[in-house]
Amino acid sequence: MKLNYVLEPLGEMKAMYQAYHEEMVELSQKNDKIVLLYGDFPHGAAGDLLQKEHPDRVYDVGIAEANLITTAAGMAGGGYLPFTHCHSIFAVGRAYNQIRQNVAFDKLNVKIVLCNSGMLWPFMGGSHQMIEEIAALRAIPNLILVSPADPVSTKKMTRALVEHAGPAALRISNPAVPTIYRDDFPFELGKAVPLTDGSDATIISTGMMLSDALEAADTLAKEGTKVRLLDMHTIKPIDEETVIKAAKETGAIVTVEDSSVIGGLGGAVAEIVAETATATVKRVGIQDRFGQSGTVPELKEEYKISARDIAQAVRESVKKK
Amino acid sequence: MAHDEKLIQKLAEKAKIIRRDAVEMIRAGKLGWIGGSFSQADIIAALVFHHMKHDPQNQEMADRDRLIVSKAHCCETVYAALGEAGYFSKELYRSYGQMGATLQAHTERIVPGIEYSGGSLGEGLSFALGEAMAARIGAPKDSSGRATPRYRVFCIVGDGESNEGQIWEAVMAAFHYKVDNLIAIIDHNKFQSGSTVEDRLNMMPWVDKWKAFGWDTTEIDGHDFEAILTALGNADKVKGKPHAIIAHTVKCKGVPSFEHKNLHFGNITDEMYTEAMKALK
Repeated sequence: MKLNYVLEPLGEMKAMYQAYHEEMVELSQKNDKIVLLYGDFPHGAAGDLLQKEHPDRVYDVGIAEANLITTAAGMAGGGYLPFTHCHSIFAVGRAYNQIRQNVAFDKLNVKIVLCNSGMLWPFMGGSHQMIEEIAALRAIPNLILVSPADPVSTKKMTRALVEHAGPAALRISNPAVPTIYRDDFPFELGKAVPLTDGSDATIISTGMMLSDALEAADTLAKEGTKVRLLDMHTIKPIDEETVIKAAKETGAIVTVEDSSVIGGLGGAVAEIVAETATATVKRVGIQDRFGQSGTVPELKEEYKISARDIAQAVRESVKKK
Repeated sequence: MAHDEKLIQKLAEKAKIIRRDAVEMIRAGKLGWIGGSFSQADIIAALVFHHMKHDPQNQEMADRDRLIVSKAHCCETVYAALGEAGYFSKELYRSYGQMGATLQAHTERIVPGIEYSGGSLGEGLSFALGEAMAARIGAPKDSSGRATPRYRVFCIVGDGESNEGQIWEAVMAAFHYKVDNLIAIIDHNKFQSGSTVEDRLNMMPWVDKWKAFGWDTTEIDGHDFEAILTALGNADKVKGKPHAIIAHTVKCKGVPSFEHKNLHFGNITDEMYTEAMKALK
């Protein structure tokens, strides 16, 4: 299977939050408008360094997510570039209105880091596993929503968000994930990355599920099914052009996410394809259920989002063509 | 020390103008929040026409003082003060609350002079806190090591909206970070949408609550300009903690027959209009 931009074999395992901070150390030293705000959350390498060198650019407001988001909006009003850090479930679940009203409504330059986003937060259970953040945030006007797949794309995305003026939310998964991309891969907000160029079917993946999607594409390639694998790292604004092209050229799309398919990436892709009626869309993701405790492999198995499930979904879709 | 009589007279005159203009706006929009708009009018007048550093000719001046009206539905007297100060043409009043209007039914940042888009209650104090903290970043420090803020932030908080938990999240954080350029003025007009504040959710005692959270707290008559100016002046002198001014106000203050009634939201009838204009002459 010929791969674009991908390390062979895959590289170092690393948590996205760590990768984010490695990049933020440099960014926050260079850009004195960056302010790091936390809701009783680990401050990370960038926060710890900034605390020493510029303590007036680091604030932890305690377990108070609503105040966290609105205070950040006020700081943006005062001309700064705040990044907020707290669990996704509480940023979106407890401060939804603040994201909507105080940040997105006025296009204030606040970056909301959705820590431990998605379903694949091992051990913590259903109260903490955020399955609906994509659906909830996708419906808010003015807000960009991005979801990197690995440490390299996390870094590139963090840099891009500093450069982009306007509100954005960044999904950061909990588990360590393999490094998929080579350092030189071209990253552009709003532009899906084609990892493979097949035309039998398309897999559109977002976030940390990309390594599973890659494994599925490899399995299928060995069976003779050539899959086009797209990394939809920008969920909003979604790369419509690439989705429509994939629908027309491959006729079968399988979406992959660690999030509810209702309003999730699956929903977003289905909305586009439905208007063109050129392909089937099968949605691999969380099927209207809450999460539970378990390891990452156990959760993938139980919720049918493993590489095997992705490959099976593609086989069924190709059969229907 | 008593303030100059001429200044007090000027502010009283401005407060009348903004109440009158607010009435015209509500008539144009056929709906509005006369009660809460009038209860805060004297405080708004004291801030906009005297106490705050700002310049309608240089609206984006980086070190301007900020006015954040957290009870943002009470927008009419705020718009009227900004229009009177010269931020925009009073022509805009005519389209208030209508399709395509600049003056939306809750304060929005698209309006010249407005710093905060409200409407969702309980959030403005957090926004004001963020603005106030931003004013201290990189600021020179005085001999005690305290950052000297580039500007002050004044936040009008409703008594009803203080039911919202987020108000108290902001109160705790402002104390923790010693944000002494943040001045919250609680428009304690004793009413909220559906009833008296006391009947809906009794939050007594107001003063002790803010004090217990570590704020420099005073209690004043929110319609007495001397008291308003003195409290604002004192807030500048106390360093190291945020300031709360609990202003006892009267809902719909300014038109005697409307006062102490819960005229919260609605239109102003022809009869009410005549009465209001007579009282506000």
